[in-house]
Amino acid sequence: MYKDNREYIKALEAAGELVTINQEVDWDMEAGAIVRKVCEESGPSPLMNKIKDYPGHRYFGAPLASYRKLAIALGLPPDSAIPEIAKVYLERTNKTPIKPVLIDKDKAPVKENIFIGDKADMLDLLPAPIVHEGDGGRYLCTWHFIVTKDPDNGDVNWGMYRQMVYDGKTLTGPLLPFSDGGKVFHGKYKQMGKPMPFATVIGPDPISAIAASAPAPMPETDFAGMLMGKPIELVKCETVDLEVPANAEIVIEGEILPDVSLEEGPFGEYTGYRTSPRDMRQVYRVKAITHRNNPITTISNMGIPTDEGQLLRSFSLGLEMDKLLRSQGIPITGVFMMPESTHHLVIVGVKPIYTNIAAQIAQTVFGSKLGPWFHMVVVVDDECDIYNFNEVLHAWTTKCHPINGIHVWQGVGTPLYPFLSAAERIKSVGPKVCFDCTFPLDWDPLSEVPSLVSFKTVYPKEIQEKVLANWKNYGFKSS
Amino acid sequence: MFKYDTYIESLTDLPEGEEIKLSVRDLTPGKQRYAYKHVMAIVSADPERYPDKMQVRFGRGQLHGQPYSMQVIKEVNIVPERYL
Repeated sequence: MYKDNREYIKALEAAGELVTINQEVDWDMEAGAIVRKVCEESGPSPLMNKIKDYPGHRYFGAPLASYRKLAIALGLPPDSAIPEIAKVYLERTNKTPIKPVLIDKDKAPVKENIFIGDKADMLDLLPAPIVHEGDGGRYLCTWHFIVTKDPDNGDVNWGMYRQMVYDGKTLTGPLLPFSDGGKVFHGKYKQMGKPMPFATVIGPDPISAIAASAPAPMPETDFAGMLMGKPIELVKCETVDLEVPANAEIVIEGEILPDVSLEEGPFGEYTGYRTSPRDMRQVYRVKAITHRNNPITTISNMGIPTDEGQLLRSFSLGLEMDKLLRSQGIPITGVFMMPESTHHLVIVGVKPIYTNIAAQIAQTVFGSKLGPWFHMVVVVDDECDIYNFNEVLHAWTTKCHPINGIHVWQGVGTPLYPFLSAAERIKSVGPKVCFDCTFPLDWDPLSEVPSLVSFKTVYPKEIQEKVLANWKNYGFKSS
Repeated sequence: MFKYDTYIESLTDLPEGEEIKLSVRDLTPGKQRYAYKHVMAIVSADPERYPDKMQVRFGRGQLHGQPYSMQVIKEVNIVPERYL
């Protein structure tokens, strides 16, 4: 496991998953365009060593935008299959939480350079990129997390909420009320009329980034420790009562204002569109910046699949749903979210032992805190491999009754859904749909249930074995 | 060369010849490019009418083909002093 992005970058290079760019790259769209193309081609991550206007700074793009990179980040072989990666993730995150440890400032690389007050000017100090043409501003924070603390119980939250540089001392961005950080800001600090302290962590180690992007059921500090297998090292901030990973590249400290909003967006979003228009959103005032020597700014480029937000949110949302459904005693075989669906589509495998189990599954996941982030649940039976989309599509189009098998609800949704009207976005309306792709249990299995016609199901075992044993003899190349 | 750009919902947000409050981005090349400021300004759809050229974008970033011009009358601070 890697203590920081620098060790992780070396591991990517060793696995052939890194391209080092030494010619100068412009922060104004060129770097963004490189990362976008990498995402669309599932290519190696670019490490850009020379940034226009910002000597000494570097960019690291698309850090986790493929399952190969996720496997490497988790310390697994790069070619690990998705179910194997999922198994390791579930094993680690079902163990006892591991609390972080605090280390001294003089041992924390992120304190190598400290700027406080007027000297903490983001535009002067940091190479915030224009990620897409037409974006409302320079998005310094695309692969990062924001540290906040609950004022009542001290619970720490790490949340990935985008931030745009408004001016040298100000960031703006949406802090959605149903997100963990948003609940504390809108439900507590705003009610008290007090600014909420924040610390934005740019270029965290890959495990901390994975934890921050996951819907963790506990403080992400502890969740990251579970994934890492040892405590995350934190260090105190300079100007706010928060702690940040000591090995991060850059930290921005300050306060989120309770009674001021400023323009933010538009921005190319994870759905593959610029959906939410320019609007008045939360305001972050900067009090301090600390960073390592030759800091590496991480860039994620949201757009059409696949970027790390889509991949990791799909991965962790699906697996948290797996835990939730099993905790309710529902006999699922697994849960898989397809990154290509921009984490909107959940595929759930189940042993259908009672009628309407698909609706129960959908209501359980839609009603959970995970629910606002997706709107389609496809429930297949245990005959179907949830990781094989050909099998899922076949079950979907053959077992789902167009009237009886589709259930629709109105729930809470993110305003980033591209299909919503402007009025629905404002009201956090989230239409939900469940596709029941299981045959009715009251059908007689011998006389009414259609039998699947496939190599594995329609031939006796001895015939299958004979054909497989002779496959090459017949003249076929693959087995 | 555009000096500023602005994001609008519709062209009615840019009444010509009258003093309006506008949020603009400074497009001057260099490190401070794209910094925001709020200004009181006069604008025109005639790109030669006022000293600074301004590019217009709609809410999702789409460029308006018509270049505008503008004159900044004064900058306006909209973040309360207690937070500065």
